[in-house]
Amino acid sequence: MSAIAQNVTHKRKSRLGARLRISAGVIACFLFLFPLIWMVLTSFKEQRDIFTMPPTLFFTPTLESYVTYLQRPDIWKRLVNTVIVAVGSGVLSIVAGAMAGYALARIRLRGAGTIGLLIVLSRGVPPIALAVPMFLVARKLGLTDKHITLILAYCTFLIPYVMWLMRGFFLSLPRELEESAMIDGCSRFGAFFKIIVPISLPGLLSTMIFSMILAWEELLFALVLTNRNASTIPVAIQGIAGDTINGANWAALTAVGTITVLPVIVFAMLVQKWLVQGLADGATKG
Amino acid sequence: MVDERLTRASASHSRFARKFADLLSRWAFMVPAAVLLLAVLAYPIFYTIEISFSRFDLATFSAVEWVGWENYAHVLDDYRFWESMKVTVVYLVFALPLQIVLGFGIAFLINAEWRGRNVVRALFIIPMVVAPVVAGGLWRMILDPLWGMVNYVLGLVGLGPLDWFGDPTLAMAALIIIDTWRWTPFVILTATAALLALPRDVFEAAEIDGANWWSKLWSITLPLLVPIIAATFVVRWLGAVKMFDIALAATYGGPGGATNVINLFIYEEAFRSLRFAESAAMAVIILVVTMVLTALFLRGSRLLEERY
Repeated sequence: MSAIAQNVTHKRKSRLGARLRISAGVIACFLFLFPLIWMVLTSFKEQRDIFTMPPTLFFTPTLESYVTYLQRPDIWKRLVNTVIVAVGSGVLSIVAGAMAGYALARIRLRGAGTIGLLIVLSRGVPPIALAVPMFLVARKLGLTDKHITLILAYCTFLIPYVMWLMRGFFLSLPRELEESAMIDGCSRFGAFFKIIVPISLPGLLSTMIFSMILAWEELLFALVLTNRNASTIPVAIQGIAGDTINGANWAALTAVGTITVLPVIVFAMLVQKWLVQGLADGATKG
Repeated sequence: MVDERLTRASASHSRFARKFADLLSRWAFMVPAAVLLLAVLAYPIFYTIEISFSRFDLATFSAVEWVGWENYAHVLDDYRFWESMKVTVVYLVFALPLQIVLGFGIAFLINAEWRGRNVVRALFIIPMVVAPVVAGGLWRMILDPLWGMVNYVLGLVGLGPLDWFGDPTLAMAALIIIDTWRWTPFVILTATAALLALPRDVFEAAEIDGANWWSKLWSITLPLLVPIIAATFVVRWLGAVKMFDIALAATYGGPGGATNVINLFIYEEAFRSLRFAESAAMAVIILVVTMVLTALFLRGSRLLEERY
């Protein structure tokens, strides 16, 4: 009797505990989202609502900041450039990276272990160690300020990333899939493209989208390798944020920032299930 | 198709040819990635090494003359290099543990079974995909001493105003806060996945034995999580040593070099001061240090994985 009563109070206590835990988690989540909410809000404010103390939550929204900055032709050009570079490097790295990841996962290669280790280590190469020689070589070959240069530069970190994620993904597929295809007379390539790629499509697509996000946001190579024609949005944001002469141009910062961030958030939400899975695998599967 | 049949037919003539064709088809999957990585990753690294041992001629924009360790000697003599290294170490030592502890803590909080769990988990992705340069600029606004939200809130509880970007210690704190904001969600997501994958029966057994939540956390959850904590640490480390965007956008290394992390310092030396040879030497030093530490961390993480 008393044991049951004890059990009931125990349950109630743990339910209260769970509720406390959950509310703490939700508050933490809100705190993490708040800076972004604040950025979006600020982008719809007029100057006098931006620079006011105490900060205001209630204001008449205006599109002024967007109108002002979207009228500048360079923003559009940069947006187009960023899309070209993100799509180009995303596609290139998913093709090369997925094939190599498949090779590491499934095909017995002499030295595959070494290659695997090299990939992990290559993720530790500081981009600045590549930026200096890339700039010099690109200058020599007349390749500065070209989309292709940036696309190739982004392959340095995207291909190892894709290789690693896709290797884990392919390892989790049952071996019988391509074995039966190869018994049926498919070549290794046939088995890969006809059997493996179609069933891995969700994983491939989400990895590609995440690669594109990484390329979309990259700053260092874009700063070093481009100046006018192929320059991307992050460079513009860096210019606005680092502009100490004209002071804080928060209207521009928040408007361009919102334009940069929103498409990424939409895509990330589309693939969130795979993203979480991929992250967990990327961190845990060695 | 015909081609393929032909090669197959001829391959059957000799075992060597067949073996060769098989080897080729095995390695063919590696070729695109290998060629690209050799061209854009390996070659630049070797070129950096070459420049680091040369005198760099700005007129022809190329490495002209072998000077041995001279550039390295210059760099190691430069107090600014050591200052920047110190700044980087301080950032890493504070930011990484903070992010791991916060991340696993919050993951533990939101991991209770309830309907909104997946929504909250999805929302935590958002800060993670914000471009670092946007994060830097955005936090510069939020931490602004005059008009920023944070100082307003601090003022409400009678603190501040704090000059986040004027004071060296506070500027470093700001850098760590911004980085932690952007990267803790990554740790949260990894940790949540890990927590969900924990075996349930162990906890049920412990509950029957009357273990309270603290002893469950301390003697079951944590030991089971050790390999994942270690792996998350390695992944975070690989990202954190590249710290550049946030520092450039939020503090520009200032005030007075207080947040001048090594990547930013090398960038400035190379592309503002055009000292390519010294920058290359620094880049090589950083490369070697990072590689050695990464190998050590990987090894440590493997060892932990085996023990637990």
